[in-house]
Amino acid sequence: MKVLASRLAVASALALAVWVTLTGATAPKTSQLEPDKLLILSTVDVKGKTSPCG
Amino acid sequence: MKTSYSQILLVDDGGFFPEDDVHEPFAGFLMDGMKLLGTDAVGVGDRDLRFGISYLKARATRAKLPVLSANLINKFTQQPALSPSVVKKVGTVKVGVFGLISDKADLGPSRDTLLVQDPTVIAKRTVADLRKQGATVVVLLSQLGKVETEDLVAAVDGIDCVIVGRNVPLVQSGRMIKDAIAVYGADQGQYMGRTILSLDAARKATAKQSEMFLLSPEVGENAQIAALVKGFEDKFNEEEKKREQQRAVEQQKADTGNNPDHFVGVEVCSRCHTQEAEQWKTTKHAQAWQTLVDAKKDATPECVSCHVVGYKQAGGFQNGTETPKLGNVQCENCHGMGTNHEAFAANPAKITEATCVTCHNPERSPTFNFATYEPHIMHQFSGTMPALPAHPNTMGGH
Repeated sequence: MKVLASRLAVASALALAVWVTLTGATAPKTSQLEPDKLLILSTVDVKGKTSPCG
Repeated sequence: MKTSYSQILLVDDGGFFPEDDVHEPFAGFLMDGMKLLGTDAVGVGDRDLRFGISYLKARATRAKLPVLSANLINKFTQQPALSPSVVKKVGTVKVGVFGLISDKADLGPSRDTLLVQDPTVIAKRTVADLRKQGATVVVLLSQLGKVETEDLVAAVDGIDCVIVGRNVPLVQSGRMIKDAIAVYGADQGQYMGRTILSLDAARKATAKQSEMFLLSPEVGENAQIAALVKGFEDKFNEEEKKREQQRAVEQQKADTGNNPDHFVGVEVCSRCHTQEAEQWKTTKHAQAWQTLVDAKKDATPECVSCHVVGYKQAGGFQNGTETPKLGNVQCENCHGMGTNHEAFAANPAKITEATCVTCHNPERSPTFNFATYEPHIMHQFSGTMPALPAHPNTMGGH
């Protein structure tokens, strides 16, 4: 997996894995961190990309 | 980020379907992936209609993903073809999200059953409806393009944030359009928009800021998801390899005897250009093919084209089995086809930036800089070799 991670350099892809790390989608959102803020994370025109070439 | 904020809305603006039929499996995979990530809402662009509205709806239903378009209408029922909007409770905030598609969009194979209603009229109505439902924050997933989106947001009150898609250039920081913050561009998942809305006691947005950030390796990755992606890509690559070999056999039959001009490969060039060939062996160009083999992308067309000689051209690279000697970025990528040697030997073409950017374009090679990269491939270079960027291995190993 480290090999894959190294290939994600300047990722030109959806980088699902990166995304999940950022959003914490697999973690429960129960705590109240920054309760007066709403964070919106967005992607656009992903064009079917999932990862860089190599 | 999850350690800093508990109220997170995750959206994709649309335009996530692949650009060709070969990559059709990626459409469903991405939708399943978005669901797995907990995506709250997804917009729809032209590209997402390329396989038909029924295809999109079926995949959305399977993935249980809220795919939104408020102004895409079934011509016969006069009802929205997809869900127009959704209200999500994010922590203490009720967020209304809706999507719009351009009235200039190519509606694909379903064009006879779909119509696009005026985005501005529909936006006014939808924002009012979302507010009635109690949404204190309204987000627009726009697939209208830059200018059309800006015009719309200027004409419609009540939008707090708009994600701007449909071939929109990257703008690093969000811009305010009246009371809405606009988040622009960055396609192919290279960047992610990070927008922060400050909320008052009534949960209304009082201050808005947005930045695009690069999804670089420093961000980290989730091993489980990475394995899922890799498994899917490897399977696709293997299947495409089989299809490609079959196509190559058929192409070879058709080409036999018809193409006197062809690529010869570095082995032939090096018979005379020995020193240049030896220097070439030290460059990343000489490992370009192996990087794809290692990554199991050696049958993925958009990758292969920039890692071999004369991809799909007459006498050029067909696949790793049929034409292995034409793997890598070789002499002929920059200097021209070998059988035309007599034409350019007396008047050698100068290698310019234009030569490189056919592959080292912003999409594939966002860190490319001619002055920095050129010395690394020059056959003769004296001076201090400039350092490549920290992460030169962007898409295509560039």
